[in-house]
Amino acid sequence: MNETICAVATPLGTGGIGIVRISGPDAQRIGEQVFGRCPPPRRAAFGQFLDGNGEPIDSGIALYFAAPNSFTGEDVLELQGHGGPVVLRLLCERVQELGARLARPGEFTERAFLNDRMDLAQAEAVADLISATTAQAAKASARSLTGEFSREILEIDKEVLDLRVFVEGAIDFAEEEIDFLTEESLVCRADSICTRLQELLRRTELGVSLQQGLQVVIAGAPNVGKSSLLNALLDTERAIVTEVAGTTRDTLEGTIHLDGLPVHLTDTAGMHESDDPIEQVGMNRAREAMDKADLVLWVVDDRETQGNSTLPYEHFVVRNKCDMTNRPHGIVDDRTVRTSATQGEGLDALRQCLKQIAGFQPSDDAFAGRPRHVATLQNALQSANRVVVELKQKSGEVAAEELRSVHKCLGEVVGETTTDDLLGEIFSRFCIGK
Amino acid sequence: MKYPDQFDVIIVGGGHAGTEAALASARIGAKTLLVTQSIETLGQMSCNPAIGGIGKSHLVREIDALGGAMALATDEAGIQFRTLNASKGPAVRALRAQADRSLYKAAIRRMVESQPNLSVFQDSVVDLDIAHDRVHSVRCGIGVEIQAGAVVLTTGTFLGGRIFIGKHSRSGGRAGDSASTTLAQKLRAMPFRVGRLKTGTPPRIDGNTVDYSELQEQPGDDPAPAMSFVGSVGMHPRQVPCHITHTNERTHDIIRKGLKDSPMYSGDIAGVGPRYCPSIEDKVVRFADRPQHQIFIEPEGLDTSELYPNGISTSLPFDVQVAAVKSIKGFENAFVTRAGYAIEYDFFDPRDLEPTLETRAIESLFFAGQINGTTGYEEAASQGLLAGINAARKIAGESQWYPRRHEAYLGVLIDDLTSQGTNEPYRMFTSRAEFRLRLRQDNADMRLSECGRELGVVSDERWLAFSAKREAIQDCKTALRSATALPNDPKSHALERVTGSRIERDMKLYEILKRPEVDAKAIHKSGWLSNISTNVLEQAAIDIKYEGYVARQQKEIDSVNAKERLTIPDGLDYEGIDGLSNELRQKLSENRPRTMASASRIPGITPAALSLIAIHSKRGHHQRKIA
Ligand SMILES: Nc1nc2c(ncn2[C@@H]2O[C@H](COP(=O)(O)OP(=O)(O)OP(=O)(O)O)[C@@H](O)[C@H]2O)c(=O)[nH]1
Ligand SMILES: [Mg+2]
Repeated sequence: MNETICAVATPLGTGGIGIVRISGPDAQRIGEQVFGRCPPPRRAAFGQFLDGNGEPIDSGIALYFAAPNSFTGEDVLELQGHGGPVVLRLLCERVQELGARLARPGEFTERAFLNDRMDLAQAEAVADLISATTAQAAKASARSLTGEFSREILEIDKEVLDLRVFVEGAIDFAEEEIDFLTEESLVCRADSICTRLQELLRRTELGVSLQQGLQVVIAGAPNVGKSSLLNALLDTERAIVTEVAGTTRDTLEGTIHLDGLPVHLTDTAGMHESDDPIEQVGMNRAREAMDKADLVLWVVDDRETQGNSTLPYEHFVVRNKCDMTNRPHGIVDDRTVRTSATQGEGLDALRQCLKQIAGFQPSDDAFAGRPRHVATLQNALQSANRVVVELKQKSGEVAAEELRSVHKCLGEVVGETTTDDLLGEIFSRFCIGK
Repeated sequence: MKYPDQFDVIIVGGGHAGTEAALASARIGAKTLLVTQSIETLGQMSCNPAIGGIGKSHLVREIDALGGAMALATDEAGIQFRTLNASKGPAVRALRAQADRSLYKAAIRRMVESQPNLSVFQDSVVDLDIAHDRVHSVRCGIGVEIQAGAVVLTTGTFLGGRIFIGKHSRSGGRAGDSASTTLAQKLRAMPFRVGRLKTGTPPRIDGNTVDYSELQEQPGDDPAPAMSFVGSVGMHPRQVPCHITHTNERTHDIIRKGLKDSPMYSGDIAGVGPRYCPSIEDKVVRFADRPQHQIFIEPEGLDTSELYPNGISTSLPFDVQVAAVKSIKGFENAFVTRAGYAIEYDFFDPRDLEPTLETRAIESLFFAGQINGTTGYEEAASQGLLAGINAARKIAGESQWYPRRHEAYLGVLIDDLTSQGTNEPYRMFTSRAEFRLRLRQDNADMRLSECGRELGVVSDERWLAFSAKREAIQDCKTALRSATALPNDPKSHALERVTGSRIERDMKLYEILKRPEVDAKAIHKSGWLSNISTNVLEQAAIDIKYEGYVARQQKEIDSVNAKERLTIPDGLDYEGIDGLSNELRQKLSENRPRTMASASRIPGITPAALSLIAIHSKRGHHQRKIA
């Protein structure tokens, strides 16, 4: 096996520790690039996971297993972070940037078997699992959302095939009386493919972010009711609440679903001036969380006059404890809502605002694609854009190569080697041959 | 009666596959015998007298890089050379040559007769002696049995052929040849799957009866390029032009009226015809809106006046053929010298072959050429070369060899045939090659010479020429990397005038060559690197242009190679694998892929199906180990 594969190994949205697992010949190199060094085999090392600019994405533990003494029998690197789904996704994207590709379902296990890391009985269980998943996938694709996704891909695929017929025909049948490439409609067709791919990509990205949910951090001064708000939204006594300022020291997570959209909430320590080292660590964590958040809910006590308009994050103001001021709960303006966490008032308005901010329209515009689909469709779009350029330069053989690449990407998304009976198509459409 | 001598390798058949097979086997050093029905027809071009074309000249150059005869014989016999796709990129450029039949035959015969280790015997082979699933000898028509370590069968020219002209049909091979039926009967009794194919030829015309003033002339390239890497214009005989004419509505009317007597439309012919070579009646029916169809008029030779009108193959009744011909511009008074006909014939399913062209059922027996369902001299010759190499290596106890899809068109051909089979006469097209940008006719020597040298088929002379060329290209690339174009240099201005390409900062010529509008000629015209020959600079420039794509494809190739190493046991029971669709089960059982790579190319296959196959294959290997 030559390719290095990677995947998030813990179920999304469960909070706590998440693992990005990498298997293949590049594991060690990727370790060096993400972690600064690859730890010695079987020894956990703590450090930071860095992005392409050397900025930390998350911190956590790296574990390295050298072939053949690993789960898959190949070099394996595990990056365990404590970040939520968004952080894990970033980390996984970074690993892909460094040359790994996203694993297919069951692929780690498959490799384990092929490398003799598993006995026959286990392998048969895997085979059963794969056939079960196929059956399930077949069922799932009958359902409208997935069905529409692959339908759209197949339609684009058809357009690509149409275009390939002209381009390949022009190359292989140069002696015929049709000069296929001069037709201006070819560039138009290529343009149309780009547009459709772009739209497909947008809808897939939307679908992926919908599945992964929104990262929301609750922050603000001490004692304004952040933890109370978390508890009210989660409808449990998740966080400790006291009248003492500085109760919350570490970050705390919980997930709610708003019409199926997962919203990952993180409660943080109150922000204020302090020399206390423990509090400082807490506030640093809060800042890190805000760095990675999709949205910050900045909580203020309604009795105070000002919100925090200088906060350097995309934020939304929650004026809490409105029962103390007797002002009406609910939406104040498009950036502010008034609540009472303890009375349970204004929470519906807050939920409404969150949905709106997530850009969530309850239409079925989004495609339930997977992150790997996004990556593949991006490649397809990139090649499609090249096709337009090359066709304009009348560089048929390069356009053909890029079209092949688009075709291949689309095939990867639908998970099938599509019958590219190009020659058959050419013969059925043009009068060719001597 | 036993023949007094024993041979390492016997080649049966003296066509394009047979002669290349015999020459390759003998070059390697195996004691080789070529058995042919007629020594006079060695290297005979039995269809149209042209070599090369798009996809095909790629094969010819590969044969040449591996020391084969076809390209050199073409240089000796070519009476018109033309570059096709000249306006497109180098990866899809191709060379086509019109050959003089007798000059070509003479060249091949001379090469065969002067080849050390190679003898030729004239007789027909009527049987093979097979024991313990291995071939031991061939039996000739006069009753002689000749023993050999390996046998290559290239007797594909219309096995069990049946010829159709209108309502008439008779058994027979190529018009004029007798069908090699005895051997075909014997082969049918062996464990090979047999299929039936169809093809056709046009009526031939006496050139003295054609009015050339009515025809459009199509001259060859000037100067004419050489087909062989070691060939030259000096080898070419006198050059002549070809001509083009067209059918017209009147022709089409005549054809439509004759259709009722056509064997194709009456259902007499069951075989599948090639889609890329439809008969004229097919074209008229299927593309009824086309007012005319093109006809390439190919001369059969310098000292004969017979013409091959390429584009009007037909099996219509003879009188309809004559009327249709006379309705064509320039052919008003044409005399038809031979009737066109359709022919149905047998082939052996190439999925029963190893990619080395050895049969899977019988050891040391190889098949090459039309017998495997291909059409075309180039397709046949390249298979012959491969089978000859492997037969010779087999008896020397050396490992078998075949090129991969990313290495050669021959690799594509072999893989397509042995893993997917075919249901029409298989012809090469560049669109069959996914790695087309690296498989070019210009770099066939760079791709294969080294390998050919190791195999022992490349002579010292060729090797020296190749090594010098390779070194010159390397040096040229080094020069391009170090030569810098400055914005205000007169040469930069010259380049700007020639190509419109601007030099706005210091740039290496290497980088400049990546621009689409800049080519080797422009570099020379602007006054750079005048000490480097145009050929060498052109070659370097082509490499540089495709460099990015070649690198990108490497990833794909690596992953294919990895799958190539995962073998699938021969007897894997696809019925017993849960989770495969019935359609896939059937395709897999028919194609019996040998590796995960070839399984992954089966249309409709899914990643999940591949995983299942991998796991069950592994299980097969496990159980074998235990047993
Ligand atoms: N009246 C009223 N009291 C509230 C409300 N929300 C929170 N409180 C009270 O305010 C106090 C602080 O609440 P917490 O939820 O612990 O505040 P916090 O912002 O998490 O505080 P730290 O974690 O210490 O920064 C508690 O006594 C809560 O009961 C509210 O809406 N109305
Ligand atoms: Mg708190």
